[in-house]
Amino acid sequence: MKALAIAATGVRRLFRDRQAAFFTFVFPLIMIVLIGIAFGDEDTARLGVVAVDSGQLGEELVSALEQTEGLEIRRFDNEDDWREAIERGEVEAGVLIPPGYDSQLHSGGQVDLPFLLRPDGLGDTLWLPVQATVEQQAELIRAALFAQSERGISFDDALAQATELRQNLPQVTVNFTIAGEPERALGRFDTGVAQQLLLFMFLTSLSASDHLILSRQLGVSRRMLSTPTAVRSIVFGETLGRFAVAMIQGLFIVLASIVLFGVDWGDPVAAGVIVVLFALVGTGAGMLLGTLLKTPQQAAAIGVFLGLGLAALGGCMVPLEVFPETMRKVAHITPHAWALDAFGMLLRRHGTLADIRPEMVLLAAYAALLLFAATWRFRRSIAG
Amino acid sequence: MLGNGIILECRDLRKTYGDRVAVNGVSFSIRRGETYGLLGPNGAGKTTTISMICGLLERDGGTVVVDGKPMSPSAVDAKAVIGYVPQDLAIYPDLSARENLRFFGQLYGLSGKTLSARVDEVLEVIGLADRANDRADSFSGGMKRRLNIGIGMLHSPRLLVLDEPTVGVDPQSRNAILDTVDTLGGQGIAVLYTTQYMEEAERLCDRVGIIDEGRLKAEGTRRELVALVGQRDRIALSAQGDLEATARAVSALDGVEQVNRHEGGLDLFVKDARRMLPQLLSTVANAGASVSAVEVVEPNLEAVFLHLTGKALRD
Repeated sequence: MKALAIAATGVRRLFRDRQAAFFTFVFPLIMIVLIGIAFGDEDTARLGVVAVDSGQLGEELVSALEQTEGLEIRRFDNEDDWREAIERGEVEAGVLIPPGYDSQLHSGGQVDLPFLLRPDGLGDTLWLPVQATVEQQAELIRAALFAQSERGISFDDALAQATELRQNLPQVTVNFTIAGEPERALGRFDTGVAQQLLLFMFLTSLSASDHLILSRQLGVSRRMLSTPTAVRSIVFGETLGRFAVAMIQGLFIVLASIVLFGVDWGDPVAAGVIVVLFALVGTGAGMLLGTLLKTPQQAAAIGVFLGLGLAALGGCMVPLEVFPETMRKVAHITPHAWALDAFGMLLRRHGTLADIRPEMVLLAAYAALLLFAATWRFRRSIAG
Repeated sequence: MLGNGIILECRDLRKTYGDRVAVNGVSFSIRRGETYGLLGPNGAGKTTTISMICGLLERDGGTVVVDGKPMSPSAVDAKAVIGYVPQDLAIYPDLSARENLRFFGQLYGLSGKTLSARVDEVLEVIGLADRANDRADSFSGGMKRRLNIGIGMLHSPRLLVLDEPTVGVDPQSRNAILDTVDTLGGQGIAVLYTTQYMEEAERLCDRVGIIDEGRLKAEGTRRELVALVGQRDRIALSAQGDLEATARAVSALDGVEQVNRHEGGLDLFVKDARRMLPQLLSTVANAGASVSAVEVVEPNLEAVFLHLTGKALRD
């Protein structure tokens, strides 16, 4: 009970600091958005389509585009809105199916389909699937026109027969086989979300070490010892408070990324275990720093330096895959790298608890070592 | 409780830091409801002594028994008897007065309605009820000091230990703090009060221990301490009339050791000025003199400290 009071006060004090609250909750989300926008890939690209008065063939083309894998179709009622949406980046590219599309094709005329894309290059990748879908419809129309002219039947009948015949034609199928374990395609914001989670959890834990130093400087820790509270309760309460802060932040980032950005963290139990273990690592590191340093100013400076430095080394700023082999090995002296390996397994490869057992063991070892050293030093600092 | 109503008994307390002996064989006891002052300059060993008494510091030797319970850093039962008010402002500046009190109240084992009621009571006693929800870092130095004291009173301790609670406090707040301590003494709470201010010890304490260089040089009531150094009270009488006859009359009184006559009055050296003042004034009136002013000058603890240690309190 007393340990809970100490822990709750620690949490209340940290979150009362508006600046700390901003860097704990808001700033990580801003970073996830920025990184998602800058580097994220999406499974589906958005294609704007205008098909006003384009007739049945126009609607069939829209329907075919909607069934094309990797395309998300957004329809517009007029060309101005469609063009503006492309310019604003609301869609990556757009196709305009002109009025009279159906009648023009019925009469054997040629129709041009304007394809508009943004200058940032994201729309380039849409050209091929759009072209392939349009080509499929064009093949049928060419066949229908040929049958109409050769057999004298109506265009609609010829088109229906061509459509039926195509279903019976032998298909050429290309089978893909991916070497190695298949990776799940990541959404735009899935990229970097684990890195940001670890970076900010660790940074907050280290920065919060100044509260421990301030309590010692003010004599509050010593005063706690004068109350009928066992030393172990004081140590446990302070540890629990810091762990609670790390967990609140970690869970907030995870849940916010799911709700706001649709991030898929994979196996929720396994992801939860990694967050808990990394929160314990951060708690131990923050408390150890708080017992080693003398002033809050030192804690702020060294905490940020260590927090960012270890995050960079551990692959939270540049993906570990980009590191040379030697650097990748060096990176694994940090708990960040092990946690990233675990999240990589969950996010990209549908991993489960069993798949991340080595990472869990190592993170637990880091946590145990740091917490042991931190609580031992903290106990000494208040009880002599 | 210990025998004879003793709530705190320290015997032969010792503490050494490296080669430096901080506390060297300090022994004293405090009775229930008694206010005991530990008077000494900076570095005399006061804070180290009370740190051992409150279980904040391991002793190198000696015993501390609080309300019959032996004290040590792990003695939770003994600590429940004591309210400790450190010299530092050991409060969270980013919490309100109420939040600080509630936090420490929980550590003293209070909860629920009892905790809320005690917090409200203490806020009234320390005069912070109207600022209860303001952050402590918005308080004046005196208000912070009062909050610091209030935390020690939360669980209605039987022994309140205050370590120089008026250091760095303005005169008005100092008076408020002294009044509070005075009131607590009147409520039957034993108080151990360390100070380097002779006036505080004289005003508040039933008994005073004089400590210097880690040793308790002497202890007793103010009068007992003054008696140790053989000094007497002085009464300066401003009077008119037959001063010669008056001097002869008062010289004959029991307890008057010396009478000096001068123009405008008499100076008398007596054993206990307060006790004999009524008899003295009656004798002067009967001798035919009229008194216009009386000044009583008693030897103070400063003089006792000087006598015992060879130096002034704030050397």
